[in-house]
Formats: sequence, structure tokens, C-alpha cells
Amino acid sequence: MMEIQVKLFAMLQEQLGDSVAVEVPAQPTADQIKGAVGQLAPNVRQMVSTARLAVNQEFAGNGQLKLSAADEVALIPPVSGG
Amino acid sequence: MHYLRISDAPIEVAALYEKLKDPKYGGIVTFVGTVRQWTGEIETKYIDYSAYHPMAEKQLEKLADPIEAQGARVVIAHRTGHLELTDEAVFVGVAAAHRKDAFRWCEYLIDTLKKDVPIWKKETDTDAVRWGD
Repeated sequence: MMEIQVKLFAMLQEQLGDSVAVEVPAQPTADQIKGAVGQLAPNVRQMVSTARLAVNQEFAGNGQLKLSAADEVALIPPVSGG
Repeated sequence: MHYLRISDAPIEVAALYEKLKDPKYGGIVTFVGTVRQWTGEIETKYIDYSAYHPMAEKQLEKLADPIEAQGARVVIAHRTGHLELTDEAVFVGVAAAHRKDAFRWCEYLIDTLKKDVPIWKKETDTDAVRWGD
């Protein structure tokens, strides 16, 4: 297991703050990271399920992620610009 | 060279349009998104926009680069912060040699921006506060 910081935005940020620390398996998948954040508070589980994961400011795929402490991980709720 | 900007500063439509003018181009298409009062029964009072900097800027570059590689020019500005009714929230402009490409690319850019660029609106309506649309 490893601890990572996950940056949050929009409604997730409003609920949980600018970022959260979660425990995830080494080389976690996006779904495992989302699951860990969803565990933090029942009222954000639905919001987390519709969010996309970004690593170093690029949307992540579904596979295992090789993360190091320097990587920037973020949850991107459904966007609504324009 | 493209011009991409996400900031709290008001969108200066005329100045952004000027950036698209060039003897190479025969067609300029611009789209301006503004804060609308009514969405069906829901009345909006104001909107606050936020963004994930600099991921949002990076995503805009990924949208603009392939279009500029085909010889067009792209100008996109998105405003963040507090916006009142009728304020401009977004400007998307494409200058191309011919109008068909300019129309097509402008529509593609605003459609894709609304799907993939990490910007969020928090809408304060007369009955509730709503995230997104």
C-alpha cells in the first residue's frame, strides 16, 4: 500500500477540501483511487463515481498507474465550462 | 500562433477578434458564450467559474495544436471568477483560408472544450445553487 495526495475540484473540493490523502495499492488503477476517495465520506461517493482521474494533468486510462510521490493526481468532476 | 487564456479578466471580444485577422485568412468564425438568465423554469442570478490551472490550459493546447498545424489560427479565452447575466464566459475564434473549415473547427473546439477542459461552473439560481449543467 502507498499513500497519495489527490487534488480535488468543484463540488468535490467544496465537500472535502483542496486535496485528500488516501491509501491505495502500489500501482493502483484509477478505479481503486476513486474508490479510496469515495470511502472518505458517503455523501461524495456519487460525485466521485462520475469524476475522471488525471495524472500530471493528463486524463488517465483504465490500466495500472506507476505513481511516485512527485506525481500530481487529481479527480476531475464532470466539466461544465463554456 | 494560437492565443489561449483562462483568467478572471473580462473577455475583450473586439481585441480577441483582431488577433484572428491576417491576409492568409478569408474566413473568421467566432463563438461567444454568455451567461443566460432562463434555462426552462430555472432562473439564473449569477455564475462562478473555476478551473484546474494549468491542466485546463494544457487541454486547450491539445485542442488547438492539430488545427493550427493545418494552417488555421485559434483564439480561445475562458473567464473564471464571478460572472453576471450577459457577461461573456467564453470566446472561441478560428481563422482559416476558407469558411467551411473555420465553421467546422470553431464548433469542434467549443464542443470539445465543454467535454474535456477542466473548468466548472457553479450556478446560483433563484431556487438553488447548482454545479454544472
